Amino acid sequence: MLDDLLQTAIIVSILASTLRIATPILLAALGELVTERSGVLNLGVEGMMLMSAFMAFMVTYFSGSIWLGVLAAAATGGLMGFLMVFMAATLRVEQIVTGMALNLLGAGVSLFWHRLLFDKTQANVATIDIFRPIHIPILSDIPYFGEIFFSHRWMTFFALMMVPVIWFFLYRTKYGLQIRAAGENPRAVDTKGVSVIRLRYFATIFGGIMAGIGGSVLTLGASPRFVPGITAGVGWLAIVAVIAGNWRPYRIMLASLAFAFLQAFSLQLQGIGVQFPHQILLALPYIFAIIAMMGSRARSEAPSALGLPYFRE
Amino acid sequence: MLPAFEALFTGAFGSRRAVLETLTRSTPLILTGLAATLAFRAKIWNIGAEGQLVIGAMSGYFAFTLFGGFPRAILFVLIILFSFAGGAAYGLLAGFLKVRFRVDEIISTVMLNYIAAFFLSLMLSSIGPWREEGSYYQQSAEIPEAARFPVFISDSRLHVGFVIALLAAVAVWILLEKTPLGYEIRAYGFNPVASRFKGTNVSGLVMLTLALSGGLAGLAGASELYGIHHRVVMDLSIGLGFTGIIIAMLAALDPFGVVIVSILFGGLVNGAFKLQIVTGVPSAFISAIQAIVLLFALSAAVLARYRIVRSVEDAG
Repeated sequence: MLDDLLQTAIIVSILASTLRIATPILLAALGELVTERSGVLNLGVEGMMLMSAFMAFMVTYFSGSIWLGVLAAAATGGLMGFLMVFMAATLRVEQIVTGMALNLLGAGVSLFWHRLLFDKTQANVATIDIFRPIHIPILSDIPYFGEIFFSHRWMTFFALMMVPVIWFFLYRTKYGLQIRAAGENPRAVDTKGVSVIRLRYFATIFGGIMAGIGGSVLTLGASPRFVPGITAGVGWLAIVAVIAGNWRPYRIMLASLAFAFLQAFSLQLQGIGVQFPHQILLALPYIFAIIAMMGSRARSEAPSALGLPYFRE
Repeated sequence: MLPAFEALFTGAFGSRRAVLETLTRSTPLILTGLAATLAFRAKIWNIGAEGQLVIGAMSGYFAFTLFGGFPRAILFVLIILFSFAGGAAYGLLAGFLKVRFRVDEIISTVMLNYIAAFFLSLMLSSIGPWREEGSYYQQSAEIPEAARFPVFISDSRLHVGFVIALLAAVAVWILLEKTPLGYEIRAYGFNPVASRFKGTNVSGLVMLTLALSGGLAGLAGASELYGIHHRVVMDLSIGLGFTGIIIAMLAALDPFGVVIVSILFGGLVNGAFKLQIVTGVPSAFISAIQAIVLLFALSAAVLARYRIVRSVEDAG
């Protein structure tokens, strides 16, 4: 059994699926990073991803255009981001409660529409054609590495590319600096004549769009059919990745990869029929998430004004 | 539109049978609503009622496997104690992680929800000890009549869990409003730093609050297991814990408000089934409506306040 496990092919397969599974977590986590850096604590990521995953599926199913599905998912995420920031920054409702409301909204509305539109056709389950992996010429032919790194769907490449992009944006542009300042010391930003509210709107809607694209990965990039509750905690893992990654893009990527590795590992073990209760394996990422949170607060770079509404004096 | 509302209403409150079924459906919601209320009063964000309910039910079932042969009254008390303790222990775990390792309770309780579901699935899996012999479904054997929560109104499903839920509401009200502990919980929610300076054992308070909150959710688990399902099933709780959060917020964190909102929500759920039969609208629309109601209620509360502030500014 152990010999099988150590076979190169299996290792390659685990690593390749790690990148695939990390994609939605990473996309949502990078979006949440920008949102939280502006001072808005959006706990509705799970609901945004679920709603977007459904919208991506539904629009693709009825329009026949998968790219329209991606667009719909991004728009859905952006819209829910708008709702979040409207409640958080303009109405100044408790952000934690608002985020939870978004989760419930995503779960409820996606379940309802799914029942309404797709459940009647019990006999033939509605399916869509999903994105196919892109094999990057030459690079994907490299033994092992080609399969691990260069044979993925576009969203995986997109997610990995966004890591340096977000880093550059946050740390090397004026707008990024303003967003970070809005989360760190909003009064200072206001004093400089820059609108804290507007920055938070931008950051939260951006975070929503990223969560939306992340949600679309779960359907358009992974499953030809939609299952209610398809996110199964991916949105929450994204939030944990931001904390475990100490609000820094590259560490967030590492945290996302770690969660994904555990899932890939347990999937692979099930796949080769190892006699081990798979429930324990499936619970690993969530257990690891709690462990990752333990003590991560001590060296925290959490934005000082995270979760606090801004009141202009 | 009108026939739809009519169907919803008559399905919820239109007949004796409907009212009793509505009360039955409100039972677990009262308990999870109280669980959220107790924790949220301390601004401790226990999102884990879902998992605590599952662990509470499992713990309650464990009591049955141990003491199944005991006299009915004693078994009943043991089931209640075990369920409460199970939920409480699971809540306490989140509390311990919070005070000892500074793990945010929102994250830990959500993660513990998933872990509880996998644990339940493990116990009911083909290699798990609770799986009903030869069953295709992931479920335990049926709990015998004598161990179930008694139905106290004939021709209905309304079981003694409803009484427990009402008693729990009174208990939570007394705890919050009439005891020193309740005062400390509210004070901590209002200003945690002040509580610390005042000399309150904040760590103990946080853990105790989460334990009590988890215990209430655990009771909801026992109520569903022994009052409704009569066997351990995978979907012991489909969102009951999350609905409890909505209910607690809509009830403005008032224990008796929780009872009233829960009965309304129980009616919504119940009415939605009739609605589905009459109009074909999936009953799942209720969960969408509940979330939308919450969003509107949150906004409305703020907007009401906002106007007052404005008029003061205008005057000055």
